[in-house]
Amino acid sequence: MFPYKYLTIIIASVLILTALIMISYNAKQASETGFMRKLVLETAWPLENLTNRSLKAIKESWDRYLFLIGLEEENRRLKKKNDLLASQLFRYQEGYLEALRLRKILKIKEQLNTVPVVADVIDREQSSVFKSILIDKGTAHGLKVGFPVLDDKGIVGRITECSWHVSRVMLIMDENSNVAALLQGSRIHGVLQGAGASGCRLKYIPKNEEVKIGDAVISSGLGGIFPKGVILGVVAAVDKKEGGLFQRIDVQPSVDFGKLEEILVLILQKDHNH
Amino acid sequence: MGLFLVVFQTSVLDLFFMGRIGVELSLVLVIYAGFRMNVLHGALLSFLLGFFLDCMMGSISGLFTLLYVCIFFISVLISIRVYAEQMSLIMIFTFLCALFEGLMIVLFYKVMYDISMFGNVIRVFLPQALVVSVLSPLFFKLFNYFEVLFHDGNPQPAKRS
Repeated sequence: MFPYKYLTIIIASVLILTALIMISYNAKQASETGFMRKLVLETAWPLENLTNRSLKAIKESWDRYLFLIGLEEENRRLKKKNDLLASQLFRYQEGYLEALRLRKILKIKEQLNTVPVVADVIDREQSSVFKSILIDKGTAHGLKVGFPVLDDKGIVGRITECSWHVSRVMLIMDENSNVAALLQGSRIHGVLQGAGASGCRLKYIPKNEEVKIGDAVISSGLGGIFPKGVILGVVAAVDKKEGGLFQRIDVQPSVDFGKLEEILVLILQKDHNH
Repeated sequence: MGLFLVVFQTSVLDLFFMGRIGVELSLVLVIYAGFRMNVLHGALLSFLLGFFLDCMMGSISGLFTLLYVCIFFISVLISIRVYAEQMSLIMIFTFLCALFEGLMIVLFYKVMYDISMFGNVIRVFLPQALVVSVLSPLFFKLFNYFEVLFHDGNPQPAKRS
């Protein structure tokens, strides 16, 4: 047997020599691809194909994952933007609606022969009996107790308390409220009294007078507080069966007190002149 | 298996390192063979790995074959003289072998074709040598695991001087 040392030298020599022959053969002439090389390439091809396909699938999954992460990020960003735009839109809508309301009030202002003051509703007192609102104008703006308050839909009430910058308005549905009124169609005079949550009641209309549901009730102008001919409400129910001289007439106020935002305070001419 | 290893290193590892640094797993296997395997098997494995690498990388047939055979026998010589189980020795030796391989390739192209690739020594071969040397202990463990798996749980021990 060969000693281990010689075996190593022989193997090394053979392999190195073979490699050198391969190099010299391939380096000097651009020969065709050798058989062994072709064999290796042909064997490696399916392996490479398999590896590359697997890698491609992994890469695609990874890309999709990254895409989804990006999508989530974009979704979050768009949601934020959407919220921002929605709040902006809401503000613009509010502004638009306010402008519409103010335009209506301005229209009334032009029609009335008084100097009105536009005020914002800042609070509501809506107990079962007392129905009032607070507005952000007071004596500093020329308001006084007793001044009538309107909005674009009709008469709201009148001022019962007045501070420098805040006033309380008693609504016409407050049970302490009485407004001189008349039925628009028949021109019969009566008094519109507040009835709390059920609206108003038109009093002192004789039973022999014909009153229909839906008849408009307007201010008569008597008493000198409310201007004449401003709508107060419509007849909602009529009852002649009650005892006494007068019929019971329920009136639905034309103003939706729950939705009041801006109102108009009429400065009575006599006070204004003072 | 050798062919699969070469395919793996030329596709998967290339992708893993974004094609910038080639991790020559086959070089670590040649060194491992020099340290752990018997001369005949190791030499043949190195020869084949070199040849496969020549084919897969498109280099002149024989270039990597020669380099791998040389590195294998250098590894054998080293393993005879020192105890080749130390992680630091494996790393340093792998680093030197990778650098040697790079330098030989550069010299070969300069001598044979008068192509100057000396810039690649710093830019390509040095980082490659660093990466492969850092990873070499891990690959050694991996090769050892496969050797145990394929040879009934009896891997070759490291040669002692």
